Amino acid sequence: MTPDLKVEIAGVKFENPILTASGTCGYGEELADIYDLSVLGGIVTKSITVKPREGHPPPRTAETSSGMLNAIGLANVGVDKFIDEKLKFLEKYDTKVIVNVAGARVQEYVDICARLADCPRADMVELNFSCPNVDEGMEIARDPLLAEKAVASVKKVFGRPVIAKLSPNVTDVALIARGCEAGGADVLSLINTLVGMAVDIESFRPRLTNNTGGLSGPAIKPVALAMVNKVYKAVKIPLIGIGGITSYQDVVEFMLCGASAVQVGTALFVEPDAPVKIIKDLKKFLIKRKLNKITDLIGQLKEY
Amino acid sequence: MSKITVEQATIERKKELGNSYFAFEISPFSKVKAIKPGQFVHIKIPHTDIYFRRAFSVYDVHPQKKAVEIIFKVFGRGTALLSRLHPGDHLDILGPLGNSFAFPTKKETALLVAGGIGMPPIYFLAKELAPIMTNKSKAVFFYGGNSRTDLVELARIKRLGIRVVTATEDGSLGFRGLITKALAKEIDGLSGDCRIYACGPEGMLKAVDRLALEKSIPGQLSLEAPMPCGIGICLGCILPLTAGGYTRVCREGPVYNVGEVRL
Ligand SMILES: Cc1cc2nc3c(=O)[nH]c(=O)nc-3n(C[C@H](O)[C@H](O)[C@H](O)COP(=O)(O)OP(=O)(O)OC[C@H]3O[C@@H](n4cnc5c(N)ncnc54)[C@H](O)[C@@H]3O)c2cc1C
Ligand SMILES: Cc1cc2nc3c(=O)[nH]c(=O)nc-3n(C[C@H](O)[C@H](O)[C@H](O)COP(=O)(O)O)c2cc1C
Ligand code: FES
Repeated sequence: MTPDLKVEIAGVKFENPILTASGTCGYGEELADIYDLSVLGGIVTKSITVKPREGHPPPRTAETSSGMLNAIGLANVGVDKFIDEKLKFLEKYDTKVIVNVAGARVQEYVDICARLADCPRADMVELNFSCPNVDEGMEIARDPLLAEKAVASVKKVFGRPVIAKLSPNVTDVALIARGCEAGGADVLSLINTLVGMAVDIESFRPRLTNNTGGLSGPAIKPVALAMVNKVYKAVKIPLIGIGGITSYQDVVEFMLCGASAVQVGTALFVEPDAPVKIIKDLKKFLIKRKLNKITDLIGQLKEY
Repeated sequence: MSKITVEQATIERKKELGNSYFAFEISPFSKVKAIKPGQFVHIKIPHTDIYFRRAFSVYDVHPQKKAVEIIFKVFGRGTALLSRLHPGDHLDILGPLGNSFAFPTKKETALLVAGGIGMPPIYFLAKELAPIMTNKSKAVFFYGGNSRTDLVELARIKRLGIRVVTATEDGSLGFRGLITKALAKEIDGLSGDCRIYACGPEGMLKAVDRLALEKSIPGQLSLEAPMPCGIGICLGCILPLTAGGYTRVCREGPVYNVGEVRL
């Protein structure tokens, strides 16, 4: 018997629950040089904005204990080139495509999503409300009413499911989650990076030109798990877990805490083929635990 | 078919070259035949909390043995830990990565400039050029360092049969001074077309870039930037282009035409 890794989220059917996280897989072209992207449940593309962005000057990444800091600054090709070139490339693969969208104002999210509504290969959009590297974006991340309005406005123009991606840099993530749910979000994904800093003791300067950056990698997994579990109890819509996932064990942890699927991020920088291994290992785990379906794991955490 | 692989390989040979320089022969690597001069591999330092891989230019290849050779100098924590590994230890390698050097035309004399630990990719290029050069004087290998102990593997370079010019800042071997001075002198005495290839410390690359632009000599530089992913997905390894915007050194580079990148 082969265990069933399929998951269905907001009506979208995924072959397996392993997606790649926005900003950590580009638009898929580079990973396609290493393996067939069709093995992935889905691919979440780098945040796109209305206009192309160059991003912050270097250095914009720094290595830290069990992870990294980044202040890329939303470098991306802009929505026009994304639709003309990048989305076309992804059409060759039998995987779900989730387009991550960022903006400074609600209207920018709406403008981009209206364009994407005409692209059937964009199976879902993920609204990046949480980029810590662009000042304006954080407002939506921290204000439940603004988040609700942003989701509701996008829902009006994009006919397919909408994911709201939450920031951990807030006082109560459940509050924002409920705001997004009220606005009509179909799915929530969490978490984005945590604000962090690294300092060079020779120059007395921060190690990033942006001074602070977003912390990601195994270092943030415990924070992400706690937040996924908290939000799981606070809302009824499905969740996608993100944060420091590098192995099948991590995926099982996130699913037990309430995630219906996960995104692998920074791990791709160190092990670009991590998703391939995780999918294989998950099958073995299910067989060992005599589970027929991976969905049997969702929310099965037994709390003390 | 994948162009790039992630593979487990074994350190087959380790050589201490002195002055914190080490050479590893690593095999098997299935893509060894596809590796071109200028390309690099990304190596995971095993059993440590060091998170990113570290980039090393390919120094030489042995297709029959499916082996790749690298040379590295202990620079920080990652390379220090790497230097403590032994033959038989496993390494996880990702590659081949990056672009490669464009070969010179038949008319051009290849001026190959290596500074310190920038030597490996220049050697690999020289090795590939040597058999196709009908006249060995059509290539000159410039090798510079602070001191003679920086000029590792000199005997092996000389075995290629092309002329080797050395320079050290302390005068312990070859010319006293910077290798770029020896290069400038050579260019002044040269008749006919030439093309420069260089890899080494930042200051040297800046000087070569300036010299080549001033004299309108075509050439290529192999550049460096800290590389979290090595394959183009993190956007961390960027350098500014002269024409504006940024370039990903791991993907569009590490080899660039002179004048292309703002150094
Ligand atoms: C394309 C390319 C080819 C290279 N080829 C060689 C080679 O053939 N031989 C060799 O000895 N070295 C080579 N290097 C440099 C080598 O990768 C660095 O010495 C190494 O990254 C420093 O690591 P560390 O762990 O010793 O230092 P650490 O102090 O532990 O590194 C600290 C951090 O700084 C970053 N970092 C600092 N300086 C550099 C740098 N110059 N390049 C990249 N990352 C840096 C590292 O990513 C790391 O995150 C190459 C680098 C690149 C980019
Ligand atoms: C270099 C880098 C760039 C990122 N860019 C984006 C982005 O453009 N949009 C976004 O929503 N998240 C972005 N993220 C956040 C990731 O998608 C993910 O939420 C976060 O890194 C946590 O997961 P991880 O620990 O598995 O990396 C980026 C992360 C990194 C490391
Ligand atoms: S090292 Fe990640 S893009 Fe170059």
